[in-house]
Amino acid sequence: MKQWFVLFNKEWLEILRSYRIIWLPIGFIVLGASQPIATFFMPDILASAGNMPEGAVIRIPTPQPFEVMAGALSQFGVIGLLLVALSGMGAISGEKASGTAAMVLVKPVSHVSFVTAKWAALLLLAVLSFAAGYGAAWYYTASLFDSVGWGEVVQSALLFALWLGFVGTLALLFSSLLRSAAAATFGALATAAVLSIASSSLPFEQSWNPGRLSGLAAESLNAGAASPGDGQGAVWLTVIVTATAMLAALAASARSLKRMPSND
Amino acid sequence: MALLTVDRLTKRFEGTLAVDGISFAIGEGRCVALLGPNGAGKTTTIRMLTGLLQPSSGAIRLEGMKPGQDLRAWIGYLPQTPAFYGWMTGREFLVYAGRLCGLSAKEAYARSDELLARVGIGAAGKRRISGYSGGMKQRLGLAQALIHRPKLLILDEPVSALDPIGRREVMTLLGELKSETTVLFSTHVLHDAEELCDDVLIMSAGRLAEGGSLSGIREANRQPMMSLETEGDSRSKEWLEGWLKRLPAGFEAASATPAGARLIVRDLETARRTVIRELADADVRVTKLEVGYTTLEDLFLKAVAHS
Repeated sequence: MKQWFVLFNKEWLEILRSYRIIWLPIGFIVLGASQPIATFFMPDILASAGNMPEGAVIRIPTPQPFEVMAGALSQFGVIGLLLVALSGMGAISGEKASGTAAMVLVKPVSHVSFVTAKWAALLLLAVLSFAAGYGAAWYYTASLFDSVGWGEVVQSALLFALWLGFVGTLALLFSSLLRSAAAATFGALATAAVLSIASSSLPFEQSWNPGRLSGLAAESLNAGAASPGDGQGAVWLTVIVTATAMLAALAASARSLKRMPSND
Repeated sequence: MALLTVDRLTKRFEGTLAVDGISFAIGEGRCVALLGPNGAGKTTTIRMLTGLLQPSSGAIRLEGMKPGQDLRAWIGYLPQTPAFYGWMTGREFLVYAGRLCGLSAKEAYARSDELLARVGIGAAGKRRISGYSGGMKQRLGLAQALIHRPKLLILDEPVSALDPIGRREVMTLLGELKSETTVLFSTHVLHDAEELCDDVLIMSAGRLAEGGSLSGIREANRQPMMSLETEGDSRSKEWLEGWLKRLPAGFEAASATPAGARLIVRDLETARRTVIRELADADVRVTKLEVGYTTLEDLFLKAVAHS
């Protein structure tokens, strides 16, 4: 356990020294704040765009606050995922290519600790950034529109954080399986996109699909609607399947690292 | 007492045999050189010993290690080109390596400072590794291999990438280290092995061509030898060529160039007399005539050529 913290500290120090601790939260805050602000000023923006005929009347219904927050989540679901996958790309493949993984793994270090320490640092960074961004979205929504209740926000944040964590884990898995960091990023995002599209477009019920998580997070913001999914059981199933898939990905990643600690 | 015993170690890569069933033992406190030309399988062997590569078959045993224990805790390893996190300082990396080996924070700091001074980069310890020269990285690599006081220090080509000064410094360091721990290092430079080692293992094409103590091997393969060199003018060349074809009994050509030859002889005294007479009669322009015994290099070339 002591060794695990040594590995984790090193990962966290790297995140600090490479300034990822600054740019990733900033990215999320910009994404999160821009959604309510842009929505609020949309009529003014359209009016000043200029090429409207004289006397045109624009009527945009004021959106519900939870709809604004859901808009922010959909921003995180696209660009936020990209940011997380980019920040985790090369986490393992880079160390394998440069030979530092071999330098560490000839020491009596468990392969599982090596992978999980990286994973924990990556996820902590992603979750902190997301919390900052979602907090910004919540603040601007409350000041420009109306407040959204604690309970809904926290529940949706937890569901979405799990989705982010799932994609971060996929990025780590692909990073240990593939040599190229770019291929690992692409693999993680493509898998996330396929799951997400499948969950929203295929006609049969998919309570096991982690791709539902972002949708569930958006739905759970709406206090007035019935509970998201088809009852709580379905949500728990998705959460359990996602957590199991993450554990399996970590195990596969540690196994692949044990078999090949360096590229040559 | 053998510290490390390797039994029929084999590694197969997609059809080619990189290491073909080698067996050897390394005694406690010995300094052993793993010699061989490039591509002989030295690095593959070392990577299997350090656990970075799974052997296809064969066994590696360390004396005193209980079954199921982690082999890596006993070994310090310096790869051919050590890699570091460029954003760390030298001292941070050593502390990190030490703590991964189970040292407490206090111990790790004390040991790091001690080793930084020992390998001669004490002043650079607070600088980022990204600014280190090749020689400094090699020294830092040596320091991180030693951090947990390993029983066996394994070095893969520790001096091949260094300039002559760096090379001399690292060799001096290794000379000091070999009195403290068991050392196994690979090299393709025979001279380095002769300078430092008690034992040599000569590898060629994945097999162990020769192995044993340096003095034993030298003794067992020592043959009287003559080395002859001429100015290389046409008459001398002509004579040499002709003479090599009708070598008298008791002479055997080990190697020859147009201007000179190395000959293994049966009896030094008669050979010396014969050659000097021949040279005087033919009026050959000799630049060098050396009478002595075969060196390890002759053996190395023979062992490598034969397999």
